[in-house]
This record gives sequence, structure tokens and C-alpha cells, in this order.
Amino acid sequence: MQNRDTFSGYHPIINFLFFGLVLVFSMCLTHPVCLAVSLSSALAYSLYLRGRRAARAALRYLLPMALLAAVINTAFSHEGETILAYLPSGNPLTLESVAYGLAAAAMLASVVTWFSCYNEVMTSDKFVYLFGRVIPALSLVLSMTLRFVPKFNAQIRVVSEAQRCVGRDASEGSVWRRAKNGVTILSIMITWSLENAIETADSMRSRGYGLPGRTAFSIYRFDDRDRAALGWLLFCGAYLVAGWIAGGLSWRYYPTMRGTALTAFPVSFLLAYLALCLTPVILNCREDRKWKRLTSAA
Amino acid sequence: MWWKKNKWKVVVPVLIAAALAAAFYLGGDAPSLRGWSVKETAPAQTQSETTASATETAPETETRPPETETSAAAEETRQETAAGTTAAPETTARAETAAPEKVTQKAGSAVASRPGGTTGGMSAAEKESAAAAIAGETAASAAAQGSESYSEQQGMRLDPKTVRDKYQTEPVPEGKPVPVDPQGAVITDKACTCTISISCAAILDNMGWLVADKKELVPEDGWILKPMQTTFYEGESVFNVLLRTCKQQGIHMEYENTPVYNSAYIEGIHNLYEFDCGELSGWMYRVNDWFPNYGCSRYALKDGDTVAWVYTCDLGSDVGGGSVSGG
Repeated sequence: MQNRDTFSGYHPIINFLFFGLVLVFSMCLTHPVCLAVSLSSALAYSLYLRGRRAARAALRYLLPMALLAAVINTAFSHEGETILAYLPSGNPLTLESVAYGLAAAAMLASVVTWFSCYNEVMTSDKFVYLFGRVIPALSLVLSMTLRFVPKFNAQIRVVSEAQRCVGRDASEGSVWRRAKNGVTILSIMITWSLENAIETADSMRSRGYGLPGRTAFSIYRFDDRDRAALGWLLFCGAYLVAGWIAGGLSWRYYPTMRGTALTAFPVSFLLAYLALCLTPVILNCREDRKWKRLTSAA
Repeated sequence: MWWKKNKWKVVVPVLIAAALAAAFYLGGDAPSLRGWSVKETAPAQTQSETTASATETAPETETRPPETETSAAAEETRQETAAGTTAAPETTARAETAAPEKVTQKAGSAVASRPGGTTGGMSAAEKESAAAAIAGETAASAAAQGSESYSEQQGMRLDPKTVRDKYQTEPVPEGKPVPVDPQGAVITDKACTCTISISCAAILDNMGWLVADKKELVPEDGWILKPMQTTFYEGESVFNVLLRTCKQQGIHMEYENTPVYNSAYIEGIHNLYEFDCGELSGWMYRVNDWFPNYGCSRYALKDGDTVAWVYTCDLGSDVGGGSVSGG
């Protein structure tokens, strides 16, 4: 489904570069402030894209998963200087292992949320457009697979509705009856998938897929807006990488928690990271304000 | 013309040889595994006068075949090994780990230094006693070897095929206590005292190998816990005492239970963990100057014992327990 947010309207390479940078930094930077920035930005963008559904999903799935990760770490790792208590087994429960568990949980949650945003923004046609030249066969296979799953879902809904109208319902009756009906629907779907595949293949062959010299139309143009965005992303990325190499974002959890002192330079890195992560939200909000001004004026 | 055609036939083997040489030099990730020489763990002193003082080392069982072997070939190899090994004096607890002199000794020099010389042979019995004298096998060092009969007599049940008990423990030398499984341990009310200490002095010699974050944890003199007297109850093991002492003194200690060896394995004390100082580093324990070859949960303490926990950077060779870590 096309997303109506401005950031999706940028050139696919901007989208891909943004998500690539943000995911790599989320996974590699373990500074607690960095993790907090990444997690909050991911949640903000996810809320913007998917609304209340995202908030509900986050609370129901992300929070327990994150807490579980945090607890599991304290059960297995007992390293650290600050001993809070002794577990029944005799091993110590240390503050550092709790902190590390929370950090791992935050990293897990932020990466999952960024991936859900990626799913919303990077549609399959953008992916094919980007990688069609580089890996033509693989991108064709990927696009066919990605196209197939929603089609299958839609068709199975149609089939089970039709079967329900005929009385062969898979949602009521004894377990045995329901299983029988379910198997019938499954066999219908298998037949449909195979036939659909053959139809698709014939259609693709008749339209010349795989012939040398075949061009593809793409609606994506690289304009000035994209140029500016590209420059901004590259600048932020390079600045953060330089900061990381120089040690400005280093943080260790064991044996004691310690990182670089928060002087001007490290703070600038953190601010740059915040700006990078909030880029789509900022762009979207700016466009929304402009749009609202235009519509209310008219 | 020839070079152009056969360039790769020369370059590729050279590259392979260079890669292998680099891998050989780099060896492993530990202080004693770098360098060109092949290091063998040094057996006890070959000079008999200094053997008596080598109380902390047990000789390698591989280089000391049992005295019952009488074949001439065995004698010769033993003589060569004994004469060919340059003594690395292990009279101090922290011996030098680099002892690369052995490789350079050749068979020829060993032959010349034989008691019989290059001329005139010796009878089998003479050779045997000569070898024993050279190797300095006094009663003390012979006792340091594992003794099957003594172990079985004391209650260890050894598997005849592998000569170990069901938890992979080798026979215990004469006079040393056999392992006591913690499941069957009976702890009485009788209070006894023992001395316990924890030292990481071996790290001070290998600070370059220590993980950078942990450098601040190593005390100046290497003592994490200076020798102190502590009470324990009869039947308790070394592990019980260590756990309690660390809790009381506020020293961090992490352990993990290993069912295969039926004992607790001490992963780290004072946040100094195994492998923090190279891949051969970790914690070992010593009771009354002997390094038991089984886990600390299986050593039943007696009144007046001295327990010392030491951190080694070389599988024990630098703290005097080099022969324990075989198998």
C-alpha cells in the first residue's frame, strides 16, 4: 500500500540509505543515550506511519519481549562491580548486568520498530527499482515472492468466504468437521497457487520479461529535494562514523559503567544522531504544516 | 618467458608458506604461545640436588613412562628427553613461561652425554637406574604422580579402560585426598579453621595481554584477598568456603555448575574472568601446595588446610600447576 507520508515520496535511494544508516547505528552504538534516541525516534516514526495500531502493537509485543531480554541477561551474566543482591544459586545480581540487559532490550526493540517502519516505506517496487540493475535475477524473484504473499492472503479470504456460503465453514462445527473443511480450502489454494504461477509465467513471457534490452518504466526522479536530503544523510552518517572511530560514542558496561565525558564534542555527536533518526518525522511534520497552511488559506 | 608462464606456481607456494609461518609465529592468543619455538611444559629438575625443592611441580606423565618399562628403546628416549631438556627452574611460584631451549638439543649431544658414552653399552637394569638418577626421581617426585592403586584403595572407582573415574578425574597421587562428591557430603557441626587467599599476581607479568577495561581491577601487589583465617564446618568443600568468604568480604565471584565434572567451575573472581589475559588464562586452586586435578566442589577440607586461589595466564605453568591441566 502506498504511504501518504512525504518521506516515502522521496527517491528510493534516500529511503534505503536512511534505513541502512539508522539500522547499522542502532545495532552498533551501545551508548545508552544513543539507544534511547534510536528507540524513541523509531517509535515516533512508527506512530506517525501506523497510528494507534502501532502503539497497541508496541505495548503488547515489544514491551514484554524487551523486559524478557533484560531479565534473561541477569540470569546468565553475573559480571559487574556493583553487587545488588545474591541470587539463590550464590551468583551475584549486579547492576551492570541489569543495565546491559536493559540496553540489549532497547536495542532489540528499536531494531524491530525500525524494521516495521521500513516495511511501510520501502515497498517492493522501490526495492526492485534500486537493485534491479545490480541483481536482476534475484530482484525479479524477490518481487514475485513479495507480490505473491498478499495475493495469496486475499484469495484465501475469498475462497473461505465462498465455502462458508456453501456451508463448508472452517470456523464452526466439530473439530473433525472443521479440519476437513480446512483441508478442502487448503487443497483449493494449492491448486490456485500453481495455476496462478503458470498464468503469471505465461503473462510475463508474453510481455518479454527476460529478453535482452527490455526496459522498465520507473516513476522515480531524482530532484533537488532528493539531492539536499542525500547531502544531509551523508553528512550525518560521516560525522557519526568519524565520532565513533574517534571514540566519542564509546561506552562500556563491564566491569563498571563508563563512557566518554559529556563535553562539547560527544554531545554534538549525540545531537547529530538525534537529528539523523528524526529526519523523516521532521520532514513529514514540515510538509504537513505547509499543507495545512495552504488548505486553510484556500 | 618461463617466469611468465610459471609465475603462479612459484608465488602461490611462497604465499602459502608465508601464511603458515605467520600462523605458526602467532600461535595462539596467549603469552606463551607466541614465538618461533615449540614450547613443552618443563618436567621437574633433571639435577637431583635441586629436585627435593621442586615441591610445586609434578612431572609430565608423558615424558616419564613408568619405571616398569624395560625396553631399550624406552630407555633411550627417556634419557634423551631427560638430558635434552634444559631445566627451567620451577622453584619459584611464578616461573618464566618462555622456555624454548629444548628444541635445539639434538639426539647427538644426548648420546654423547650418556653415562656409558658412545662406546660400551649398559645392561637394561643399568640403563633404567641411570635414567632414574638423571631424571632425579626421588621418592618425593615419584609420589607426585598419580597412583592408581592408592586411589582405588581410598575409594575412587576408576574405569579400567581410561584409568579415570566417572567424572574424568585421573588417579590421585599417594598421600593426597581423593575427590568427595558434593551430593553425598555430610556437613557436621564441628568448626575447623583454614587459611584462604586469592591472588592474581600472574597478571602483573602479563599486563599487555589483559583486556584493557580490566586493567584498573588488578591490585598493585596482586592480592585480591590476603591470606586470612576462616572457619568452616567439617565436610565442607573448597567451593563452600570460597563462596562464603567472597560473600562476607564483598568480593565478586561468578561460578557455573559443570555436571560432567560434578563440580562448580569458577569463571571469575573480582571481575577477572577466564580468558581475560590470553586464551590460556583462568583460575586455579591449590591446597597445601598441591593443585588438585578435580573441581573445587569435590575437595573436602580438613582442619588447618591452606587454600590458595591463583590466576594463571598459562594453564598453570606460571603458578606451579603446569602438569594439572592435561586431559
